[in-house]
Amino acid sequence: MRRVVITGMGAISALGHDAASTWNGMREGRCAIGPIVNIPTELTNIKIAAEVRDYDAAKHFDSKKLIFLDRVAQFALLAAREAVAQSGLDFRADGRGERTACIVGTGIGGENTHDEQARRFYGDKNPRVHPLTIVRLMANAPACQITMEYGLTGPAFAVVSACASANHAMAQAFEMLRSGKVDFAVTGGSEACITVPTVKAWEAVRVTADDTCRPFCKQRRGMVLGEGAGIFVLEEYEHARARGATILAEFAGAGMSADAGDIVLPSMQGAARALAGALADARLDAHEIDYINAHGTGTPANDPTETKAIRHVFGAHADRLAVSSTKSMHGHALGAAGAIELIAAIGALREGVIPPTANFLDADPECDLDYVPNVAREQRVRAALSNSFAFGGLNAVLALKRAD
Amino acid sequence: MSSVQETIFGIISKEAGIDINKITLDSTLKDLEIQSLDAVQIIFELEDHFKITLPDRDPKFDTESVKGLVEAVEKLLAEKAAGTTPAAQG
Repeated sequence: MRRVVITGMGAISALGHDAASTWNGMREGRCAIGPIVNIPTELTNIKIAAEVRDYDAAKHFDSKKLIFLDRVAQFALLAAREAVAQSGLDFRADGRGERTACIVGTGIGGENTHDEQARRFYGDKNPRVHPLTIVRLMANAPACQITMEYGLTGPAFAVVSACASANHAMAQAFEMLRSGKVDFAVTGGSEACITVPTVKAWEAVRVTADDTCRPFCKQRRGMVLGEGAGIFVLEEYEHARARGATILAEFAGAGMSADAGDIVLPSMQGAARALAGALADARLDAHEIDYINAHGTGTPANDPTETKAIRHVFGAHADRLAVSSTKSMHGHALGAAGAIELIAAIGALREGVIPPTANFLDADPECDLDYVPNVAREQRVRAALSNSFAFGGLNAVLALKRAD
Repeated sequence: MSSVQETIFGIISKEAGIDINKITLDSTLKDLEIQSLDAVQIIFELEDHFKITLPDRDPKFDTESVKGLVEAVEKLLAEKAAGTTPAAQG
C-alpha cells in the first residue's frame, strides 16, 4: 500500500487566522475563549465562545466572489489557500487536478446564511429570499469552492458527522490516496455556526460551560463553542520525496466506529474501537504513541469515558502517554474540530512540543491520565493520535507519524 | 399533592415514557432510569409550561430527588408571582 504524507496545512481559528498563529497559540497555552462579540447576546444564556475575531472577509475576497460564500466556505477557502501555498503544488498543471480528491467536513454548513434568510423571511416579513441562499448554505459548498479555486476535478464531496466531520473527511481522503484512487487530496473541515439560534439550541442541550472550557479537571462545567477551519494537502510519499517537498507528517492510519447506542452519551467501547482501529490501520503498536490530542470537550460525560477508552486500549502504556485537549484554547469547532486539532498533532510531531490542556485546575479522580496541564511540554513525539467523537455516537481517530 | 407537583409528575411521566404511579418525591433520575436527553427534555417542558428558567446545574435532578425539582420550580414560581425575577417582568 502507498504511504500518505501531509505537505501543506492551513487553518483559521479563535487562536489566529493561519496555521502558524493557531499552533503558536496552542504552544503558549493561550485560551482564546471570551465574551461573544460577533452576535447579540441579549437573548442567549451562553455568553462565551471561541470566535474567530477581527476577521474582515473583504480583505480576502472581492465582492463578486464573496456573494457566493457563507462564513463556513470563507474559512475553508482561507485555510485551503494557506495549505496549497505551503505544499507548493500547482493543481492546474500536469493534469494534477483530475487526480486530486477534495473532501471537506462540516457539521452544519452555511448556518449564517440560513439564519440571515430566515430572519428576513420570518422576522422582517420580507417575502424575497436571496437567490444565492441555496449555494451558500449547502453543506458541500466549502468543498465545491475549493475545487473551483484550484481546478480540482477528481472526487469531491462533503462529509457530515457532527463533531467528527473533519476526521471522517480526512480519513476518507487518506483511504483514497492510500488505495491509489487519487494521487493528491485537499481535505479537512470547516464550521461557522455561532448564530443566535444555534447558540440557543446548544443552550437547550445543557452541555455548555458558563466560565470557560476546562477539559479533564474536576471543575469542568462543559464545552465552549468554537469555529474555524483546517485544511491539509495530502500526497503520496514517493511523489513528495521526489519533488523535495517538506513533509509535515505521515498520515499513517484511521479508525472509525459507531456506538449504535445513545444519541448523545458517549460509549467507552465505541471510542476504544476507533482508537484500536487507528492503531491497527497504521500498523502502530500502542507503545509507539507518545501523544493523543483528545476529543476532550470538557463535558461531565465525555472526559471520563474518553479516559477509560484510552486506558482500555493502551493498558500500562496509558500512564506514559501525554494526552491534551486543545479545545481548552480554541473551543469546540464541531465539524472543524479534528482539522484544527490536527495542527496540534502535527506541531507536536514536528517540534517536539506537546500543547497543554489549558484552564486546568484540580485533578478529577475519574480522569487519571497525564493531561499536560496548562503549560506545554518539550518531549519528542514519534507518533500521535487525534480523537473525534461525535453526537450520534460516530467516532473517528487519526494516526500520524513523524516524517522520516 | 399540589397542582405544581402533579403537573411535574405528569411531564416526567410523558417525556420519559414511564408510569406516573412509579414516580415519588424521593425518586431520583437514576431510580426512574431516565437518560440524560430525557432529563433535558423534561426540564425544557417544565420551563415551557411554567414560563420559568431553571438553572443549568440546579436542581441536580439526576443525583438528587424529584422533590428537589419540585421545590426549585415552586421557588421560581413564587419569585415570579412576587415579581422578583426578570421573567415575571417580561
